[in-house]
Amino acid sequence: MNRSKRINIWDIILGILLLLMAVISFYPFAYMFLMSLTQSKDLLLTVDLSKMNFINYVRVFKNFDFLKYLKNSIIVSGTACLLNCIISSMAAYGFAKKKFPGKESIFFIYLATLMIPGQVTLIPVFTIMKKLNMLNTYPILFLPIINAFGVFLIRQFMDAVPDELLEAAKIDGCKEVSIFVSIVLPLIRTVLVSLTVFTFITSWNDFIWPLVVATDANMKTLTLALSVLKGNYLTNYGLVMAGSTLTFLPPFILYIFLQKQFVEGIALSGVKG
Amino acid sequence: MKSMTLDLNSRTKDIVAGYIYILPSLILIMTFSVIPIFMVVYLSFTKYNVMQPAVFVEFDNYIRMFSDRFVRAGIANTLIYTAIVVPTQTILSMVIAEVIASRFRNRFGSFVKSVMFIPVISSAVLVGSLWLFLLATDNGAVNQILGLFGIHKINWIGTTKTALLSVCIASIWKNVGYFLVIFYAGIMDISSSIYQAARVDGASTTQQFFLITVPLLKPVTLLVIVLGTIWSFQVFDIVYVMTNGGPGKSTVTLVLTIYNAAFKEFSMGYASAVSVLLFVIVMLIYLLQRMFFREDA
Repeated sequence: MNRSKRINIWDIILGILLLLMAVISFYPFAYMFLMSLTQSKDLLLTVDLSKMNFINYVRVFKNFDFLKYLKNSIIVSGTACLLNCIISSMAAYGFAKKKFPGKESIFFIYLATLMIPGQVTLIPVFTIMKKLNMLNTYPILFLPIINAFGVFLIRQFMDAVPDELLEAAKIDGCKEVSIFVSIVLPLIRTVLVSLTVFTFITSWNDFIWPLVVATDANMKTLTLALSVLKGNYLTNYGLVMAGSTLTFLPPFILYIFLQKQFVEGIALSGVKG
Repeated sequence: MKSMTLDLNSRTKDIVAGYIYILPSLILIMTFSVIPIFMVVYLSFTKYNVMQPAVFVEFDNYIRMFSDRFVRAGIANTLIYTAIVVPTQTILSMVIAEVIASRFRNRFGSFVKSVMFIPVISSAVLVGSLWLFLLATDNGAVNQILGLFGIHKINWIGTTKTALLSVCIASIWKNVGYFLVIFYAGIMDISSSIYQAARVDGASTTQQFFLITVPLLKPVTLLVIVLGTIWSFQVFDIVYVMTNGGPGKSTVTLVLTIYNAAFKEFSMGYASAVSVLLFVIVMLIYLLQRMFFREDA
Protein backbone atom coordinates (compact mmCIF):
# COMPACT_ATOMS: atom_id res chain seq x y z
CA MET A 1 0.00 0.00 0.00
CA ASN A 2 2.68 2.40 1.13
CA ARG A 3 4.91 1.32 -1.73
CA SER A 4 2.39 1.92 -4.51
CA LYS A 5 1.64 5.35 -3.07
CA ARG A 6 5.32 6.31 -3.25
CA ILE A 7 5.50 5.22 -6.88
CA ASN A 8 2.49 7.38 -7.69
CA ILE A 9 4.18 10.45 -6.21
CA TRP A 10 7.22 9.80 -8.38
CA ASP A 11 4.96 9.40 -11.40
CA ILE A 12 3.50 12.82 -10.71
CA ILE A 13 6.86 14.52 -10.14
CA LEU A 14 8.45 12.97 -13.24
CA GLY A 15 5.32 13.64 -15.27
CA ILE A 16 5.50 17.33 -14.37
CA LEU A 17 9.20 17.41 -15.27
CA LEU A 18 8.44 15.80 -18.65
CA LEU A 19 5.69 18.33 -19.24
CA LEU A 20 8.19 21.08 -18.40
CA MET A 21 10.58 19.63 -21.03
CA ALA A 22 7.80 19.72 -23.61
CA VAL A 23 7.01 23.34 -22.69
CA ILE A 24 10.69 24.33 -22.97
CA SER A 25 10.81 22.66 -26.40
CA PHE A 26 7.69 24.33 -27.72
CA TYR A 27 7.55 27.69 -25.96
CA PRO A 28 10.11 29.39 -28.28
CA PHE A 29 7.98 28.52 -31.33
CA ALA A 30 4.79 29.85 -29.75
CA TYR A 31 6.67 32.97 -28.70
CA MET A 32 8.02 33.37 -32.25
CA PHE A 33 4.52 33.24 -33.69
CA LEU A 34 3.01 35.66 -31.17
CA MET A 35 5.86 38.15 -31.60
CA SER A 36 5.44 37.99 -35.38
CA LEU A 37 1.98 39.52 -34.91
CA THR A 38 3.22 42.60 -33.03
CA GLN A 39 4.88 45.84 -34.12
CA SER A 40 6.75 46.27 -30.87
CA LYS A 41 10.34 47.44 -30.91
CA ASP A 42 10.82 45.66 -27.59
CA LEU A 43 10.66 42.03 -26.73
CA LEU A 44 7.41 41.55 -24.92
CA LEU A 45 6.43 39.09 -22.28
CA THR A 46 2.72 39.69 -22.38
CA VAL A 47 1.04 40.09 -25.72
CA ASP A 48 -1.84 42.51 -26.25
CA LEU A 49 -4.29 40.47 -28.30
CA SER A 50 -6.21 43.51 -29.57
CA LYS A 51 -3.09 44.96 -31.25
CA MET A 52 -2.22 41.82 -33.19
CA ASN A 53 -2.15 41.87 -36.97
CA PHE A 54 -0.41 40.40 -39.97
CA ILE A 55 1.44 43.58 -41.05
CA ASN A 56 4.85 41.91 -40.61
CA TYR A 57 3.84 39.11 -42.97
CA VAL A 58 2.66 41.61 -45.56
CA ARG A 59 6.00 43.44 -45.25
CA VAL A 60 8.05 40.25 -45.44
CA PHE A 61 6.29 39.30 -48.67
CA LYS A 62 6.07 42.78 -50.21
CA ASN A 63 9.34 44.43 -49.21
CA PHE A 64 11.59 41.45 -48.69
CA ASP A 65 10.63 39.13 -51.55
CA PHE A 66 9.85 36.17 -49.32
CA LEU A 67 7.47 34.79 -51.94
CA LYS A 68 10.41 34.40 -54.31
CA TYR A 69 12.54 32.70 -51.66
CA LEU A 70 9.63 30.44 -50.76
CA LYS A 71 9.37 29.49 -54.44
CA ASN A 72 13.13 28.85 -54.62
CA SER A 73 13.04 26.66 -51.53
CA ILE A 74 10.09 24.67 -52.85
CA ILE A 75 11.79 24.14 -56.24
CA VAL A 76 15.11 23.15 -54.66
CA SER A 77 13.67 20.85 -51.98
CA GLY A 78 11.06 19.35 -54.28
CA THR A 79 13.55 18.49 -57.00
CA ALA A 80 16.07 17.21 -54.45
CA CYS A 81 13.46 14.81 -53.01
CA LEU A 82 12.28 13.55 -56.38
CA LEU A 83 15.76 13.08 -57.89
CA ASN A 84 17.20 11.54 -54.73
CA CYS A 85 14.45 8.92 -54.67
CA ILE A 86 14.84 8.05 -58.36
CA ILE A 87 18.64 8.12 -58.57
CA SER A 88 19.26 6.41 -55.23
CA SER A 89 16.73 3.63 -55.73
CA MET A 90 18.12 2.98 -59.23
CA ALA A 91 21.63 2.66 -57.81
CA ALA A 92 20.48 0.59 -54.81
CA TYR A 93 18.65 -1.78 -57.17
CA GLY A 94 21.76 -2.06 -59.37
CA PHE A 95 23.96 -2.85 -56.38
CA ALA A 96 21.54 -5.31 -54.79
CA LYS A 97 20.16 -7.24 -57.76
CA LYS A 98 22.64 -7.00 -60.65
CA LYS A 99 25.99 -8.68 -61.02
CA PHE A 100 28.72 -6.58 -62.63
CA PRO A 101 32.49 -6.37 -62.28
CA GLY A 102 33.75 -3.85 -59.70
CA LYS A 103 30.43 -3.79 -57.85
CA GLU A 104 31.81 -4.41 -54.37
CA SER A 105 34.68 -1.94 -54.70
CA ILE A 106 32.39 0.80 -56.03
CA PHE A 107 29.99 0.21 -53.14
CA PHE A 108 32.91 0.39 -50.73
CA ILE A 109 33.78 3.82 -52.14
CA TYR A 110 30.14 4.84 -51.61
CA LEU A 111 30.34 3.83 -47.96
CA ALA A 112 33.65 5.64 -47.53
CA THR A 113 32.16 8.92 -48.86
CA LEU A 114 29.55 8.79 -46.09
CA MET A 115 32.28 9.64 -43.60
CA ILE A 116 33.31 12.85 -45.40
CA PRO A 117 31.69 15.91 -43.79
CA GLY A 118 30.19 18.27 -46.37
CA GLN A 119 32.20 21.20 -45.05
CA VAL A 120 35.47 19.45 -45.98
CA THR A 121 34.61 19.37 -49.67
CA LEU A 122 33.03 22.85 -49.68
CA ILE A 123 35.97 24.58 -51.37
CA PRO A 124 36.75 22.06 -54.15
CA VAL A 125 33.06 21.64 -55.03
CA PHE A 126 32.69 25.43 -55.12
CA THR A 127 35.74 25.67 -57.41
CA ILE A 128 34.43 22.97 -59.76
CA MET A 129 30.99 24.62 -59.96
CA LYS A 130 32.51 28.02 -60.61
CA LYS A 131 34.53 26.54 -63.49
CA LEU A 132 31.35 24.96 -64.87
CA ASN A 133 29.56 28.33 -64.53
CA MET A 134 26.92 26.73 -62.35
CA LEU A 135 26.95 29.13 -59.39
CA ASN A 136 23.56 30.77 -58.81
CA THR A 137 21.58 28.07 -60.62
CA TYR A 138 18.96 25.69 -59.24
CA PRO A 139 20.82 22.45 -60.07
CA ILE A 140 23.82 23.44 -57.96
CA LEU A 141 21.50 23.88 -54.98
CA PHE A 142 19.87 20.46 -55.18
CA LEU A 143 22.43 18.14 -56.85
CA PRO A 144 24.91 17.94 -53.92
CA ILE A 145 22.03 16.86 -51.63
CA ILE A 146 21.95 13.54 -53.52
CA ASN A 147 24.69 11.44 -51.96
CA ALA A 148 25.54 7.87 -51.01
CA PHE A 149 23.27 7.90 -47.96
CA GLY A 150 20.10 7.26 -49.99
CA VAL A 151 21.73 4.37 -51.87
CA PHE A 152 23.01 2.87 -48.63
CA LEU A 153 19.60 3.25 -46.97
CA ILE A 154 17.55 1.77 -49.82
CA ARG A 155 19.96 -1.11 -50.42
CA GLN A 156 19.18 -2.41 -46.94
CA PHE A 157 15.52 -2.56 -47.91
CA MET A 158 16.12 -4.38 -51.21
CA ASP A 159 15.72 -7.70 -49.39
CA ALA A 160 12.01 -6.88 -49.47
CA VAL A 161 12.20 -7.51 -53.23
CA PRO A 162 12.37 -11.31 -53.76
CA ASP A 163 14.73 -12.46 -56.54
CA GLU A 164 12.16 -15.09 -57.60
CA LEU A 165 9.65 -12.35 -58.36
CA LEU A 166 12.15 -10.54 -60.60
CA GLU A 167 13.06 -13.83 -62.36
CA ALA A 168 9.40 -14.65 -62.93
CA ALA A 169 8.76 -11.19 -64.37
CA LYS A 170 11.73 -11.58 -66.71
CA ILE A 171 10.49 -14.98 -67.91
CA ASP A 172 7.07 -13.43 -68.51
CA GLY A 173 8.83 -11.02 -70.87
CA CYS A 174 8.73 -7.90 -68.70
CA LYS A 175 11.10 -5.17 -69.86
CA GLU A 176 13.89 -4.19 -67.48
CA VAL A 177 12.46 -0.68 -67.03
CA SER A 178 8.97 -1.88 -66.25
CA ILE A 179 10.31 -4.42 -63.74
CA PHE A 180 11.99 -1.55 -61.92
CA VAL A 181 9.06 0.84 -62.09
CA SER A 182 6.13 -1.48 -61.48
CA ILE A 183 7.64 -4.19 -59.26
CA VAL A 184 10.67 -2.78 -57.40
CA LEU A 185 9.53 0.77 -56.62
CA PRO A 186 6.16 -0.19 -55.07
CA LEU A 187 7.87 -2.75 -52.82
CA ILE A 188 10.29 -0.19 -51.36
CA ARG A 189 7.80 2.67 -51.01
CA THR A 190 8.04 2.90 -47.20
CA VAL A 191 11.77 3.55 -47.28
CA LEU A 192 11.23 6.03 -50.14
CA VAL A 193 8.90 8.03 -47.88
CA SER A 194 11.56 8.09 -45.16
CA LEU A 195 14.20 9.17 -47.67
CA THR A 196 11.89 11.91 -49.00
CA VAL A 197 11.33 13.31 -45.52
CA PHE A 198 15.04 13.20 -44.74
CA THR A 199 15.95 14.85 -48.05
CA PHE A 200 13.30 17.52 -47.59
CA ILE A 201 14.54 18.51 -44.14
CA THR A 202 18.19 18.44 -45.23
CA SER A 203 17.64 20.64 -48.28
CA TRP A 204 15.09 22.98 -46.65
CA ASN A 205 17.41 23.64 -43.68
CA ASP A 206 20.66 23.63 -45.67
CA PHE A 207 22.63 26.78 -44.97
CA ILE A 208 26.38 26.85 -45.66
CA TRP A 209 26.04 25.52 -49.21
CA PRO A 210 23.40 28.07 -50.39
CA LEU A 211 25.34 30.77 -48.52
CA VAL A 212 28.36 30.03 -50.70
CA VAL A 213 26.77 29.31 -54.09
CA ALA A 214 23.59 31.45 -54.07
CA THR A 215 25.13 34.90 -53.94
CA ASP A 216 22.54 36.32 -56.33
CA ALA A 217 19.54 37.66 -54.40
CA ASN A 218 17.20 35.94 -56.89
CA MET A 219 18.56 32.51 -56.03
CA LYS A 220 18.40 32.64 -52.24
CA THR A 221 16.50 29.96 -50.36
CA LEU A 222 14.17 30.74 -47.48
CA THR A 223 16.64 29.61 -44.80
CA LEU A 224 19.37 31.78 -46.33
CA ALA A 225 17.00 34.74 -46.68
CA LEU A 226 16.09 34.42 -43.01
CA SER A 227 19.73 34.77 -41.97
CA VAL A 228 20.02 37.91 -44.15
CA LEU A 229 16.81 39.36 -42.70
CA LYS A 230 18.03 38.60 -39.17
CA GLY A 231 21.40 40.18 -39.96
CA ASN A 232 19.91 43.42 -41.28
CA TYR A 233 16.86 43.90 -39.06
CA LEU A 234 17.82 42.24 -35.80
CA THR A 235 16.00 44.81 -33.65
CA ASN A 236 12.83 44.69 -35.70
CA TYR A 237 11.69 41.67 -33.73
CA GLY A 238 8.27 41.26 -35.26
CA LEU A 239 9.65 41.26 -38.79
CA VAL A 240 12.37 38.67 -38.07
CA MET A 241 9.84 36.51 -36.22
CA ALA A 242 7.45 36.66 -39.20
CA GLY A 243 10.29 35.50 -41.48
CA SER A 244 11.17 32.78 -38.99
CA THR A 245 7.58 31.58 -38.77
CA LEU A 246 7.33 31.36 -42.57
CA THR A 247 10.55 29.34 -42.77
CA PHE A 248 9.37 27.04 -40.00
CA LEU A 249 5.81 26.47 -41.18
CA PRO A 250 6.28 24.11 -44.18
CA PRO A 251 8.40 21.51 -42.32
CA PHE A 252 6.16 21.86 -39.25
CA ILE A 253 2.93 21.26 -41.16
CA LEU A 254 4.47 18.22 -42.86
CA TYR A 255 5.67 16.99 -39.47
CA ILE A 256 2.18 17.15 -38.01
CA PHE A 257 0.84 14.93 -40.80
CA LEU A 258 3.81 12.58 -41.21
CA GLN A 259 5.14 12.31 -37.66
CA LYS A 260 6.10 8.66 -37.79
CA GLN A 261 7.86 8.99 -41.14
CA PHE A 262 9.72 12.08 -39.91
CA VAL A 263 11.06 10.39 -36.83
CA GLU A 264 12.03 7.29 -38.83
CA GLY A 265 13.53 9.23 -41.74
CA ILE A 266 15.63 11.43 -39.54
CA ALA A 267 16.57 8.85 -36.91
CA LEU A 268 17.61 6.41 -39.67
CA SER A 269 20.11 9.02 -40.76
CA GLY A 270 22.31 8.19 -37.75
CA VAL A 271 25.35 7.84 -39.99
CA LYS A 272 24.76 11.14 -41.69
CA GLY A 273 24.89 14.53 -39.95
CA MET B 1 23.93 -24.54 -77.33
CA LYS B 2 21.14 -22.14 -78.04
CA SER B 3 20.23 -21.84 -74.40
CA MET B 4 23.86 -21.09 -73.53
CA THR B 5 24.09 -18.12 -75.88
CA LEU B 6 20.79 -16.91 -74.50
CA ASP B 7 22.16 -17.23 -70.99
CA LEU B 8 25.36 -15.37 -71.94
CA ASN B 9 23.27 -12.70 -73.61
CA SER B 10 21.13 -12.18 -70.56
CA ARG B 11 24.22 -12.08 -68.36
CA THR B 12 25.83 -9.32 -70.48
CA LYS B 13 22.50 -7.53 -70.43
CA ASP B 14 22.53 -7.77 -66.66
CA ILE B 15 26.04 -6.29 -66.49
CA VAL B 16 25.13 -3.41 -68.78
CA ALA B 17 21.88 -2.82 -66.87
CA GLY B 18 23.82 -2.81 -63.59
CA TYR B 19 26.13 -0.07 -64.80
CA ILE B 20 23.26 1.96 -66.23
CA TYR B 21 21.37 1.77 -62.92
CA ILE B 22 24.27 3.08 -60.87
CA LEU B 23 25.58 5.58 -63.47
CA PRO B 24 23.62 8.75 -62.49
CA SER B 25 24.40 8.26 -58.82
CA LEU B 26 28.04 7.40 -59.57
CA ILE B 27 28.50 10.62 -61.57
CA LEU B 28 27.13 12.69 -58.67
CA ILE B 29 29.22 10.89 -56.05
CA MET B 30 32.36 11.30 -58.14
CA THR B 31 31.65 15.01 -58.75
CA PHE B 32 30.58 15.99 -55.24
CA SER B 33 32.57 13.63 -53.00
CA VAL B 34 35.37 11.55 -54.52
CA ILE B 35 37.10 14.06 -56.83
CA PRO B 36 36.68 16.94 -54.29
CA ILE B 37 38.34 15.01 -51.45
CA PHE B 38 41.47 14.55 -53.61
CA MET B 39 41.20 18.14 -54.82
CA VAL B 40 41.05 19.57 -51.32
CA VAL B 41 44.27 17.78 -50.41
CA TYR B 42 45.92 19.11 -53.58
CA LEU B 43 44.63 22.66 -53.01
CA SER B 44 45.91 22.61 -49.43
CA PHE B 45 49.45 22.67 -50.85
CA THR B 46 48.77 25.69 -53.06
CA LYS B 47 48.11 29.39 -52.97
CA TYR B 48 44.81 29.85 -54.76
CA ASN B 49 42.26 32.66 -54.99
CA VAL B 50 39.91 31.22 -57.68
CA MET B 51 40.79 34.00 -60.15
CA GLN B 52 44.41 33.04 -60.83
CA PRO B 53 45.72 29.49 -61.29
CA ALA B 54 46.86 27.67 -58.16
CA VAL B 55 50.56 28.01 -57.25
CA PHE B 56 52.28 25.16 -55.43
CA VAL B 57 53.61 26.35 -52.04
CA GLU B 58 54.54 23.06 -50.33
CA PHE B 59 53.70 23.07 -46.62
CA ASP B 60 53.26 26.84 -46.22
CA ASN B 61 49.54 26.60 -45.50
CA TYR B 62 50.05 23.93 -42.85
CA ILE B 63 52.85 25.90 -41.20
CA ARG B 64 50.64 28.99 -41.15
CA MET B 65 47.76 26.94 -39.80
CA PHE B 66 49.56 25.76 -36.69
CA SER B 67 50.36 29.31 -35.64
CA ASP B 68 46.96 30.74 -36.69
CA ARG B 69 45.16 32.15 -33.64
CA PHE B 70 41.78 31.52 -35.29
CA VAL B 71 42.52 27.84 -35.86
CA ARG B 72 43.75 27.50 -32.28
CA ALA B 73 40.68 29.31 -30.97
CA GLY B 74 38.51 27.13 -33.23
CA ILE B 75 39.97 23.94 -31.77
CA ALA B 76 39.88 25.22 -28.18
CA ASN B 77 36.29 26.42 -28.51
CA THR B 78 35.24 23.14 -30.14
CA LEU B 79 36.77 21.16 -27.27
CA ILE B 80 34.92 23.29 -24.68
CA TYR B 81 31.72 23.07 -26.73
CA THR B 82 32.07 19.27 -26.98
CA ALA B 83 32.78 18.99 -23.23
CA ILE B 84 29.58 20.91 -22.44
CA VAL B 85 27.19 19.77 -25.18
CA VAL B 86 27.94 16.05 -25.60
CA PRO B 87 27.65 14.91 -21.94
CA THR B 88 24.63 17.14 -21.29
CA GLN B 89 22.61 16.08 -24.32
CA THR B 90 23.60 12.41 -23.90
CA ILE B 91 22.60 12.17 -20.22
CA LEU B 92 19.51 14.33 -20.64
CA SER B 93 18.17 12.38 -23.60
CA MET B 94 18.99 9.02 -21.98
CA VAL B 95 17.21 9.92 -18.72
CA ILE B 96 14.15 11.31 -20.50
CA ALA B 97 13.99 8.19 -22.70
CA GLU B 98 14.19 6.01 -19.59
CA VAL B 99 11.47 7.97 -17.77
CA ILE B 100 9.14 7.72 -20.76
CA ALA B 101 9.92 4.04 -21.35
CA SER B 102 9.51 2.98 -17.71
CA ARG B 103 6.54 5.10 -16.64
CA PHE B 104 4.85 6.80 -19.56
CA ARG B 105 4.40 4.29 -22.38
CA ASN B 106 1.15 6.05 -23.15
CA ARG B 107 -0.18 9.00 -25.13
CA PHE B 108 1.42 11.47 -22.74
CA GLY B 109 4.85 9.89 -23.26
CA SER B 110 4.59 9.91 -27.03
CA PHE B 111 3.24 13.47 -26.93
CA VAL B 112 6.36 14.62 -25.04
CA LYS B 113 8.60 12.76 -27.51
CA SER B 114 6.78 14.36 -30.49
CA VAL B 115 7.01 17.87 -29.07
CA MET B 116 10.68 17.48 -28.21
CA PHE B 117 11.34 16.44 -31.81
CA ILE B 118 10.12 19.78 -33.22
CA PRO B 119 13.45 21.58 -32.64
CA VAL B 120 15.15 18.71 -34.51
CA ILE B 121 13.27 19.44 -37.74
CA SER B 122 13.97 23.19 -37.50
CA SER B 123 17.02 24.66 -39.19
CA ALA B 124 20.02 25.70 -37.14
CA VAL B 125 19.50 29.19 -38.58
CA LEU B 126 16.00 29.32 -37.10
CA VAL B 127 17.15 27.88 -33.76
CA GLY B 128 19.97 30.43 -33.61
CA SER B 129 17.59 33.35 -34.31
CA LEU B 130 15.10 32.13 -31.69
CA TRP B 131 17.78 31.81 -29.00
CA LEU B 132 19.16 35.26 -29.83
CA PHE B 133 15.78 36.60 -28.72
CA LEU B 134 15.39 34.23 -25.77
CA LEU B 135 18.84 35.19 -24.49
CA ALA B 136 18.47 38.94 -25.15
CA THR B 137 19.78 41.01 -22.23
CA ASP B 138 16.67 43.15 -21.85
CA ASN B 139 13.36 41.30 -21.69
CA GLY B 140 14.81 38.06 -23.03
CA ALA B 141 12.85 35.14 -21.62
CA VAL B 142 15.89 33.53 -19.98
CA ASN B 143 16.89 36.67 -18.08
CA GLN B 144 13.26 37.23 -17.05
CA ILE B 145 13.06 33.76 -15.55
CA LEU B 146 16.44 34.16 -13.84
CA GLY B 147 15.18 37.51 -12.54
CA LEU B 148 12.46 35.66 -10.63
CA PHE B 149 15.25 34.02 -8.66
CA GLY B 150 16.95 37.35 -8.07
CA ILE B 151 19.72 36.81 -10.62
CA HIS B 152 20.88 39.98 -12.35
CA LYS B 153 20.55 40.46 -16.11
CA ILE B 154 23.26 38.60 -18.01
CA ASN B 155 24.57 39.80 -21.36
CA TRP B 156 24.64 36.26 -22.74
CA ILE B 157 25.65 36.85 -26.35
CA GLY B 158 27.81 39.94 -25.87
CA THR B 159 30.20 38.67 -23.20
CA THR B 160 33.26 36.56 -23.95
CA LYS B 161 32.57 34.29 -20.98
CA THR B 162 28.97 33.41 -21.85
CA ALA B 163 28.81 33.62 -25.68
CA LEU B 164 30.03 30.06 -26.23
CA LEU B 165 27.74 28.82 -23.46
CA SER B 166 24.81 30.48 -25.26
CA VAL B 167 25.63 28.58 -28.44
CA CYS B 168 25.90 25.37 -26.39
CA ILE B 169 22.47 25.93 -24.82
CA ALA B 170 20.85 26.47 -28.23
CA SER B 171 22.56 23.35 -29.64
CA ILE B 172 21.55 21.14 -26.72
CA TRP B 173 17.98 22.38 -27.03
CA LYS B 174 17.98 21.43 -30.71
CA ASN B 175 19.67 18.02 -30.31
CA VAL B 176 18.05 16.40 -27.26
CA GLY B 177 14.89 15.37 -29.13
CA TYR B 178 16.97 13.55 -31.75
CA PHE B 179 19.00 11.50 -29.28
CA LEU B 180 15.88 10.89 -27.20
CA VAL B 181 14.37 9.01 -30.16
CA ILE B 182 17.56 6.96 -30.60
CA PHE B 183 17.79 6.08 -26.88
CA TYR B 184 14.09 5.26 -26.71
CA ALA B 185 14.43 2.83 -29.63
CA GLY B 186 17.47 1.32 -27.87
CA ILE B 187 15.55 0.80 -24.61
CA MET B 188 12.65 -0.76 -26.52
CA ASP B 189 15.10 -3.29 -27.96
CA ILE B 190 16.04 -4.50 -24.47
CA SER B 191 13.96 -7.58 -23.75
CA SER B 192 11.21 -6.89 -21.22
CA SER B 193 11.81 -10.29 -19.60
CA ILE B 194 15.08 -8.95 -18.16
CA TYR B 195 13.17 -6.18 -16.38
CA GLN B 196 10.51 -8.63 -15.22
CA ALA B 197 13.16 -10.89 -13.72
CA ALA B 198 14.75 -7.90 -11.99
CA ARG B 199 11.39 -6.83 -10.58
CA VAL B 200 10.76 -10.33 -9.26
CA ASP B 201 14.14 -10.10 -7.54
CA GLY B 202 13.00 -6.84 -5.98
CA ALA B 203 15.11 -4.33 -7.94
CA SER B 204 13.87 -0.73 -7.71
CA THR B 205 13.36 1.39 -10.86
CA THR B 206 16.57 3.26 -10.08
CA GLN B 207 18.46 -0.01 -9.72
CA GLN B 208 16.92 -1.28 -12.96
CA PHE B 209 18.10 1.86 -14.73
CA PHE B 210 21.70 1.68 -13.54
CA LEU B 211 22.11 -2.10 -13.57
CA ILE B 212 20.16 -3.04 -16.71
CA THR B 213 19.41 -0.09 -18.97
CA VAL B 214 22.73 1.76 -18.77
CA PRO B 215 25.00 -1.28 -19.36
CA LEU B 216 22.82 -2.73 -22.12
CA LEU B 217 22.57 0.64 -23.86
CA LYS B 218 26.36 0.94 -24.11
CA PRO B 219 26.52 0.55 -27.93
CA VAL B 220 23.73 3.13 -28.39
CA THR B 221 25.41 5.51 -25.95
CA LEU B 222 28.68 5.16 -27.84
CA LEU B 223 26.91 5.99 -31.12
CA VAL B 224 25.27 9.05 -29.53
CA ILE B 225 28.62 10.26 -28.13
CA VAL B 226 30.44 9.73 -31.44
CA LEU B 227 27.71 11.45 -33.46
CA GLY B 228 27.55 14.32 -30.99
CA THR B 229 31.33 14.77 -31.08
CA ILE B 230 31.46 14.74 -34.88
CA TRP B 231 28.60 17.28 -35.03
CA SER B 232 30.53 19.46 -32.57
CA PHE B 233 33.47 19.69 -34.94
CA GLN B 234 31.12 20.63 -37.79
CA VAL B 235 29.33 23.49 -36.01
CA PHE B 236 28.80 26.45 -38.32
CA ASP B 237 25.21 27.58 -38.98
CA ILE B 238 24.22 28.27 -35.38
CA VAL B 239 27.44 30.18 -34.63
CA TYR B 240 27.23 32.16 -37.87
CA VAL B 241 23.72 33.30 -36.94
CA MET B 242 24.19 33.87 -33.20
CA THR B 243 27.66 35.34 -32.77
CA ASN B 244 29.63 35.07 -36.02
CA GLY B 245 32.62 33.97 -33.95
CA GLY B 246 32.56 36.87 -31.50
CA PRO B 247 32.91 38.61 -29.23
CA GLY B 248 36.64 38.49 -29.91
CA LYS B 249 37.40 34.93 -30.92
CA SER B 250 35.29 33.40 -28.17
CA THR B 251 32.96 31.42 -30.47
CA VAL B 252 35.16 30.88 -33.54
CA THR B 253 34.89 27.31 -34.88
CA LEU B 254 36.95 25.40 -37.45
CA VAL B 255 34.25 25.58 -40.13
CA LEU B 256 33.81 29.31 -39.50
CA THR B 257 37.56 29.72 -40.03
CA ILE B 258 37.32 27.72 -43.28
CA TYR B 259 34.41 29.88 -44.47
CA ASN B 260 36.08 33.19 -43.58
CA ALA B 261 39.44 32.23 -45.10
CA ALA B 262 37.84 30.96 -48.31
CA PHE B 263 34.98 33.37 -48.93
CA LYS B 264 36.01 36.54 -47.10
CA GLU B 265 39.78 36.56 -47.78
CA PHE B 266 39.70 34.24 -50.84
CA SER B 267 42.61 32.20 -49.46
CA MET B 268 41.24 28.99 -50.91
CA GLY B 269 44.53 27.13 -50.49
CA TYR B 270 44.78 27.99 -46.82
CA ALA B 271 41.11 27.22 -46.22
CA SER B 272 41.70 23.83 -47.89
CA ALA B 273 44.47 23.08 -45.40
CA VAL B 274 42.06 23.80 -42.51
CA SER B 275 39.48 21.57 -44.28
CA VAL B 276 42.03 18.74 -44.39
CA LEU B 277 42.63 19.24 -40.65
CA LEU B 278 38.87 18.95 -40.04
CA PHE B 279 38.77 15.80 -42.18
CA VAL B 280 41.65 14.22 -40.25
CA ILE B 281 39.96 15.00 -36.90
CA VAL B 282 36.66 13.45 -38.02
CA MET B 283 38.47 10.37 -39.33
CA LEU B 284 40.29 10.03 -35.99
CA ILE B 285 36.96 10.09 -34.15
CA TYR B 286 35.62 7.31 -36.40
CA LEU B 287 38.84 5.35 -35.81
CA LEU B 288 38.50 5.70 -32.03
CA GLN B 289 34.90 4.54 -32.32
CA ARG B 290 35.97 1.41 -34.21
CA MET B 291 38.60 0.63 -31.59
CA PHE B 292 36.00 0.93 -28.84
CA PHE B 293 33.60 -1.31 -30.71
CA ARG B 294 36.28 -3.94 -31.22
CA GLU B 295 37.04 -3.88 -27.49
CA ASP B 296 33.36 -4.51 -26.92
CA ALA B 297 33.26 -7.59 -29.12
